[in-house]
Amino acid sequence: MEVSKNSFKTLSEPVKQFGGLVGIIILIFLTFFVLNNIFGEGDELVAKMKIEEERIAEERKLNKLISSLPSGVLVSFDGTDNFKLSDELYEAVCKATKLIPQRAIMGANFLNFRAHEIYTINGNKIDETFVKWDDEKNKCFAGYVVSGNNVGVDETVKVSGEALSFLSTGIDTRVYFIKNF
Amino acid sequence: MKKLIFFILFSSLITSLASARSTGCKEGNCDNGYGKWVYTDKTTYEGEWVATKKHGQGTETWPNGYIYKGEFKESQWSGIGILFFPDGSTYEGEWANGFMNGKGTFTWSDGKQKTGIWKNGSFQE
Repeated sequence: MEVSKNSFKTLSEPVKQFGGLVGIIILIFLTFFVLNNIFGEGDELVAKMKIEEERIAEERKLNKLISSLPSGVLVSFDGTDNFKLSDELYEAVCKATKLIPQRAIMGANFLNFRAHEIYTINGNKIDETFVKWDDEKNKCFAGYVVSGNNVGVDETVKVSGEALSFLSTGIDTRVYFIKNF
Repeated sequence: MKKLIFFILFSSLITSLASARSTGCKEGNCDNGYGKWVYTDKTTYEGEWVATKKHGQGTETWPNGYIYKGEFKESQWSGIGILFFPDGSTYEGEWANGFMNGKGTFTWSDGKQKTGIWKNGSFQE
């Protein structure tokens, strides 16, 4: 012990400083290693980050595709002068769409009187809207939930149907026709 | 900065004025008579008006493809009328208070039909 103490003293100043630097770096690495083991999420966090990165990449791809579509009504069926979506575009537009405008809701309400009543009583308020691509059926489904007090009774009605047309604004797309019959 | 705020306010004013000019009664008499009204979302009604309400024969066209042709009462679809859905399906028959009420035929876009009595938009089995 005494020998090593003496030999350390005999070392030149730059070597001592370098040794100190290496020691501090090792200490920092060890500290982070210990902290990461205690508080860190490790592989789980990396997996989450990868999923998030993939989601962002997919969103960018969809946004690029949406901005390339013509503005106006996009349909998934024949027989109109509107822009007809191919199967691939239909799926992509469905996945990129989040909004359902009032007219689409009013149209779907024609075949759901209870939903219409609650919607009207509550000043056209919608609790929730959803647009989902169904992989099994290869179709886009959209809908909304209305709830409220209807003549003293608390009611919640969910309206859902195939989203068959969309409105492209040039910035985003919106469900334009929900076929709930 | 002041210029930018002025530009934004000026643009908003111009947009509002342009929007206001493109909506409202565009043709004819929308108080009492025959006229065409355009709503802010581009829905149009062309037909008969009584005391500023849609009353009589008319056609209402929604921007998302719904078209109703027929009778209106107090601005609501009431009487005999036909509704064209955006996908080509139709309902032809009786209406009351804006809903299929009474005898009518629903025809799907593939030609399939259902005729009978409807109550508040629902087919009565």
